[in-house]
Amino acid sequence: MIPPRFEYAAPKSVREAVDLLKSRGGEAKVLAGGQSLIPLLKLRLAAPSLLVDINRVTGLDYIRESGGFLRVGALTRVSTLNRSALLKKRYGALHDASLTIADPLVRNLGTVGGNLSHGDPSNDLPAVLLAAGGELAATGPSGDRSVRAEDFFVGTFTTALAQDEILTEARFPVPPPRSGGVYLKVEQKVADFATAGVAVQVSLDKKSEYARVGIGLTGVGPTALKATKAEAAMVGKRATDRKAAQEAGELAADASSPTTDIRGTEEYKRGLIRLLVTRGLERASQRARRGA
Amino acid sequence: MEVTFEGEEQDPDVRFVRGTGKYVDDIKLEGMLHLHVVRSPYARARVLSVSGGITGNELKATMESVGEDAGGKSAVSFPALSASYVNYVGQPVAAVLGLDRYDAADKAEEVDVQYEPLRPVIDPEKALASEPIHPGMENNLVAAAELGKEFEVKAPIEIEETLRMTRISPNPMETKGMVAVYDGSNLTVYASTQSPFSWREGLASSLGLKEESVRVVQMDTGGGFGSKGGIYPEYVVAAYAAMKTKRPVKWSETRYENILSTNMGRGVRGKMKVYADREGKLKGLKADILVDVGAYPLGGGGWTARWIASQLVGPYSVPRAYATAKAVLTNKVNMGPYRGAGRPEAAFFMERMMDRLADETGVDAAEVRLRNATSRRTTSPLGMEAPPSKQLFMKALRAFKYSSRKKKENVGLSFFMLIPAAYGGESAKLAVKGGRVKVWMGGSSHGQRHDVFAKSLVSEELGIPQDVIDFQHTDTRSISGGVGSWGSRTAILGGGAIVEASRSLKAAAKKKLGKKYSPARLLEGEYEAEAFFKPKDLLNTLGANMASARLTKEGNAVVDEVVSFYDAGKVLNPFMLESQITGGVAQGIGEIMYEQAIYSEDGQLLTASIADTGVIHATEMPKSVVMTAASRSTLPHGAKGVGESPTIGVPPAATRALEVLLGRRFTTLPIEPEKLWATDVAGVKEVRVR
Amino acid sequence: MPQTSHIAVEVNGVKREADVEPRLLLVHFLRENLGLTGSHIGCDTTSCGACTVLLDDKAMKSCTVLAVQADGRKVMTVEGLGGHGKLDPVQEGFVAEHGLQCGFCTPGMVISAYALLQENPDPTEDDIRTAISGNICRCTGYEKIIESVKHAAKARRRRRT
Repeated sequence: MIPPRFEYAAPKSVREAVDLLKSRGGEAKVLAGGQSLIPLLKLRLAAPSLLVDINRVTGLDYIRESGGFLRVGALTRVSTLNRSALLKKRYGALHDASLTIADPLVRNLGTVGGNLSHGDPSNDLPAVLLAAGGELAATGPSGDRSVRAEDFFVGTFTTALAQDEILTEARFPVPPPRSGGVYLKVEQKVADFATAGVAVQVSLDKKSEYARVGIGLTGVGPTALKATKAEAAMVGKRATDRKAAQEAGELAADASSPTTDIRGTEEYKRGLIRLLVTRGLERASQRARRGA
Repeated sequence: MEVTFEGEEQDPDVRFVRGTGKYVDDIKLEGMLHLHVVRSPYARARVLSVSGGITGNELKATMESVGEDAGGKSAVSFPALSASYVNYVGQPVAAVLGLDRYDAADKAEEVDVQYEPLRPVIDPEKALASEPIHPGMENNLVAAAELGKEFEVKAPIEIEETLRMTRISPNPMETKGMVAVYDGSNLTVYASTQSPFSWREGLASSLGLKEESVRVVQMDTGGGFGSKGGIYPEYVVAAYAAMKTKRPVKWSETRYENILSTNMGRGVRGKMKVYADREGKLKGLKADILVDVGAYPLGGGGWTARWIASQLVGPYSVPRAYATAKAVLTNKVNMGPYRGAGRPEAAFFMERMMDRLADETGVDAAEVRLRNATSRRTTSPLGMEAPPSKQLFMKALRAFKYSSRKKKENVGLSFFMLIPAAYGGESAKLAVKGGRVKVWMGGSSHGQRHDVFAKSLVSEELGIPQDVIDFQHTDTRSISGGVGSWGSRTAILGGGAIVEASRSLKAAAKKKLGKKYSPARLLEGEYEAEAFFKPKDLLNTLGANMASARLTKEGNAVVDEVVSFYDAGKVLNPFMLESQITGGVAQGIGEIMYEQAIYSEDGQLLTASIADTGVIHATEMPKSVVMTAASRSTLPHGAKGVGESPTIGVPPAATRALEVLLGRRFTTLPIEPEKLWATDVAGVKEVRVR
Repeated sequence: MPQTSHIAVEVNGVKREADVEPRLLLVHFLRENLGLTGSHIGCDTTSCGACTVLLDDKAMKSCTVLAVQADGRKVMTVEGLGGHGKLDPVQEGFVAEHGLQCGFCTPGMVISAYALLQENPDPTEDDIRTAISGNICRCTGYEKIIESVKHAAKARRRRRT
């Protein structure tokens, strides 16, 4: 379990990092928290010619609300999310999810940007971003751009990021009053990848009917999935409508495409989606009514 | 060039919390090379050519089955490096040396092996009818036995069940490893091992050396659980590399390699049939045991089927029993001992039947067991001797508060017998010099902290303080013989040897000093004594477990608490006993809920990381309560074996607790995660418990 | 010749410099280059935590960090705990409560426990279980480890008051 040889650079700015990526075509890789990349290197499943370590780039580690978004810098460690009172209060799904990622030691290094840009369908944050209807900011040779979450996760280990682009920020819309979110994950043991996971983000109107519903699914497709039919079906339904929530669970399960592996059978995972979406809607709407 | 332990912190607790323990991978010697093993990516293939590094064309050594694995001559030869056929993913085909592990890993990429993949035999049930995996064999059957006598009996209750325990990776936290040093005539090996003497025997045999010219020294050893009691191809290759290069050679495997190449435990299917009257009294037992040996029957797979069958009756009395036992080859890494090694399988099979019997007759699960327990020593129709069990089990039930707890909780029980591996006895040696006493054991700690009881026994026997006693690493040069540490044997046999050696040391001192003898005078002199202790009496002991299960708020079933009540004889050290039992409880819980080796149809191991093999964390650990029955054994120090008890008793008790909670019948371990939900998440068809 | 980088890392309070290949893992730098063999390697998938050290006061797995990443930063290994022949209260806790058997996972457990108590001097049992959930022990079943951490927390609080 020894990484192959590579060259190493630790730029101080995003611009410098982008230039380095550009100079190597597809041969360079960004090293952020390293908690996914370094194991891949050890297994020799990745062999970049250059590692661009962005840990010395300043100004990418922050959590703040501005311009209608919660903005999380790409180098923000997952453990920072764990400790954020703001997240706990207003971004329940993100906070929940951050506590289920790997283990506390890995969370001390693993980054938000890494979790999102690795393109692993089993990572937990993509579903949260999809449910929130968020977007991602990236910087490339021709400047900055933003990508909507649903356009970002292209395939297993592939995202909309170009080879010479760096993810700089994840943006979660600031939820209106009477909103709530949860992340529910079934894992066999702590630190495991999700057998299945569900992020739900809802906003209720004054009649306690769903005004907006976002549902993201983890580990049951080639990428994290947005359960759009289930989302649409819930809008206008009462928050206490159990039957509607169950139907949404069915729709989300239908939209998922899990595969049988060591964590469980396809049927089981689909069953979990059904259960977790239904439960997630109930809990998210409870939080919405409490204003969390 | 030698590794010494001079100046070593004597108290392992202090040594380990400071990080100054000395494990194999911590050794650094001048000029030392690192060995990297190149392994088969196929479960079964013909090796067409192999070039680069040390190959099987150069090193033609084969392996001998030694130590805990030993089962006599094998029909199949197991090459240290295969140059013709490979029979499991991870089998060594070549090895390279580098200046450090990075250099060695890079060099390994230059080795070229050409394979012709063949269709592997993976399913043990189909292996009997499949073509033999080894050329020249008639079929894949390597052992078959019949125990007891075939019978016919009329009984109102007849229950049949097929039960399975899936293969498990032993996963000691320290992977396997060694450092070999050769001076032109003598080979010294620093080892992570449960048995330096087995290594000496195995290495000498494989390399054609005299045992006197091989010295094996045990380093601090980070766990074994059965997997380090014998030898592996890599040991032979690394020793050979040291002899060839005349430079020290270190081999220290990665976890990935450990999981691929270490003998796995379990992998056993039991077809059970019990005959009983309506009150739950057994009238007969029939069984058919099938063991998945893996590719070579050297890890113990050859003898395990019969061994399991022989102890199926456990602590009960049954008038008639008949068992057949078979062991078959498949294209997987060898089966080998894993904490319990056959005992857990036998107990799981029998205890599951006891629960079925309780369900069929409507007799309480404890009562049905008591009705079949005995009040005197018995020999089962399958040939195993058991001590009287009824009294102890009644005591256990009282200690568990079984009757009141079963009214409020979902509880499961198990009664079992632990047969310690007493064969061969064990050695110990004491030497007094300069006011201090050195103690060696023939088979010593790989994580059980035998130093703790060794020091207290010596201190007690000689009347000297513990802080003048130095516990030594086992070294084949320092003690004349030994066996190894496994099978719940060391406290009883090694402990017995320490008592005997202490007594003969004391006798020698008394003879010399006469009336002037005192412990202080003893320490002023120079004495040495060695003992090889072989007990004559039956050492089989009894234990019981109770487990309770509950639902989490998410609707998952979990085991909440495990209570152990074991006849541990005179307890030598309560802290170590509790810790060891609780560690075994963790393994038992792992076994029923998480731990397994999953193979694809083409023989690839899908569970090849320590996370995927299912080892549990603190977060999955239920509460563990440990109680013991203080009944001295007939041994001089009164101890009984206990190390394997939890992996024997916990799986059936905890499985039953989950069964009672969920109302589902469980026959295979680990239980599939979808069956551990209160609701029918996956829409699985299942057998409901009445 | 492969690229090497010059690094200067403060390890257990002492500045250590070396020219290393970028691919060198921090755990190997500690064990092989500096001879600090207390940090162990128990897996290759960032699962077991036997290699846990503090990097700038945060506990992490040194098998999943490159040595070059530690350049200019502070590392504390198990060897850096206590000092002058004395054990740190966390180490004392593990000795007093027998929170170990084979000792292989112990340095990682000790460091994780130390990091927990630095941040949370009075942890609940659940806090402790979570804090050591990135560290695997195969011998003890964890109970005595948890007792050890509780013991250490008490001892530290006593020392403060």
